[in-house]
Amino acid sequence: MSITELNKAQTEKLLEVNDLKMHFPVKGGFFKRTIGAVKAVDGVSFDIKKGETLGLVGESGCGKSTTGRSILRLLDPTDGEVLFNGEDITKLTGKRLRDIRQDIQMVFQDPYASLNPMQMVGDIVSEPIKNYHKNRKGEELKAEVMDLLTRVGLPEDAYYKYAHEFSGGQRQRIGIARALALKPKLIIADEPVSALDVSVQSQVLNLLNELQDEFDLTYLFIAHDLSVVKHMSDRIGVMYLGNIMEVANKSSIYAEPLHPYTQALISAVPDASKIGQKRERIVLEGDVPSPENPPSGCPFHTRCPKAMDECSKTKPQLKEVKPGQHVACLLYE
Amino acid sequence: MEVVPNKDPQLKTTKPPKSMSPWAMARRKFMKNKLAMISLVYLIILAILSFLAPYITTVDISRVNIGQMKLPPSSEHWFGTDTSGRDVFVRLLYGGRVSLFVGISCTMIILFLGVIVGAIAGFFGGIVDSMLMRFTDFVLNFPFLVFVIVLNAILFGKVGGVGVLIGVISLLGWGGVARLVRSKILSEKENEYVLAATSIGGRPNKVIMKHLLPNVLTTVIVQATILFANMIVAESALSYLGFGVPQEVPSWGNMLSASQQPEVLQDMPWIWVPPAIILVFTILAINFIGEGVKDAFNPKSFR
Repeated sequence: MSITELNKAQTEKLLEVNDLKMHFPVKGGFFKRTIGAVKAVDGVSFDIKKGETLGLVGESGCGKSTTGRSILRLLDPTDGEVLFNGEDITKLTGKRLRDIRQDIQMVFQDPYASLNPMQMVGDIVSEPIKNYHKNRKGEELKAEVMDLLTRVGLPEDAYYKYAHEFSGGQRQRIGIARALALKPKLIIADEPVSALDVSVQSQVLNLLNELQDEFDLTYLFIAHDLSVVKHMSDRIGVMYLGNIMEVANKSSIYAEPLHPYTQALISAVPDASKIGQKRERIVLEGDVPSPENPPSGCPFHTRCPKAMDECSKTKPQLKEVKPGQHVACLLYE
Repeated sequence: MEVVPNKDPQLKTTKPPKSMSPWAMARRKFMKNKLAMISLVYLIILAILSFLAPYITTVDISRVNIGQMKLPPSSEHWFGTDTSGRDVFVRLLYGGRVSLFVGISCTMIILFLGVIVGAIAGFFGGIVDSMLMRFTDFVLNFPFLVFVIVLNAILFGKVGGVGVLIGVISLLGWGGVARLVRSKILSEKENEYVLAATSIGGRPNKVIMKHLLPNVLTTVIVQATILFANMIVAESALSYLGFGVPQEVPSWGNMLSASQQPEVLQDMPWIWVPPAIILVFTILAINFIGEGVKDAFNPKSFR
């Protein structure tokens, strides 16, 4: 491989997450000593290529949102690296960190809590621009913000309104406009539609899809709704208890899930085309173990229908089992 | 944004113009509260009268007039004269100046200190929080009265005027506000808009000033009214005991202290009843305003 080809292969990967860990210390006792840790994210690795959408699914509490927030450095990861355009951003501070945030933006989960109730919508959307481009102001800035508002499907007079005057779906559009304002390369969408009505969900999802083409965006799409993820993503990563279980293309993961956990998840999705037929559902026994005290070996072995003796001893690593399909399971060792 | 009132009387009954800031909505709600508005008008009139006292009357308030001691109310002296022959009505006006001024300045200084300490402790958390809050506890633990009396005894005659009193009250009083602001910031910063403010490149000072404080301000304003009333009471109480503003400076508390003499208390109500009444009404008015502000900012009205 020539050097230019090598460079090209590297630049294609916009984001690369290697063995990311986010442990929250648990303090207790008289002197607030650290007596343990909640391992919210415990060694997550994946990469996102330019222009694609990686969906991250998993039950609540499995560390999806924490992964998203650590990438943006809203949380300081305990260990691991996050390479953005080849640069490790986990150790950045001060000005460099602020600079990198221009390129990575976030759409938040709760449209009611993610907008400042005291600010006009115009101020909310123009604030990121004001933060980075001091020279842009006045009519020029206003026109730019109006443009953004119309682009996400809001009326222009929304500029002078307050967040409380909008519905949940419209508020989420405001949040999207704010994330777009800096023309980022990567947008982390943290369950952007889970708080919305189903009818509004599809509108917002379609808007995100349109914007992706128009602004050349790359998405990390976090969700717990499998049908939403299927609609949005090119590739899908399945998380369980702070670990990635399987990463693969959307088509292969739905056609032939390899990891037992993925198989159980996919079998739970109702399929309208198979009405009347008997569904083979894999029902998982028991509860998700506490991330404060995760099981040894494979985190899923306590509930896995195919668990072997070895599963409680060895922690499986992500391995490419089929082309493009990475699975962390000892069945495929 | 300002809401332009509609001149057409027919349209007045229709729905108010839509886009109103939370502030404008609160103001509208406050204006509808009759008790609070009456209290506000009373307070404004009182303040204007007090601060314009030198221009309203030409009587010298400090001059002792032995020939006119203990006169009951008359057309010449509306509220009579006190044991030193000074006009009670004029002293009441001047007393309002001192009492309101002490109340307002103490409230301002306390809010300033309390909000800064509370906001920094709440926002940064961790060791910063622990250290600031332990210091706050330390200040809160000072015995207020003893401290004021001792300081006044030390400074008596050296540093005159009300400045000492304002300084002492303020330095001892900010702990409660700091705690309140900290707890509000702690709960408010859990909202995603604070995370969003950081993620769009806001520096900590901007996140605090532009996002957290405006949302905490409603609580602070309500607290400020209570504080204002408390400070006026504190000033009066200390002055009544003789540890407040110097005796020669008229304040409502100083005027009340005349009632410590049994003959004044029994036979000369015109000397001590006016300051007592005006004090009661002022405190009540401030509390009604505070109550009105609290209602106006009730979070159920927006969000």
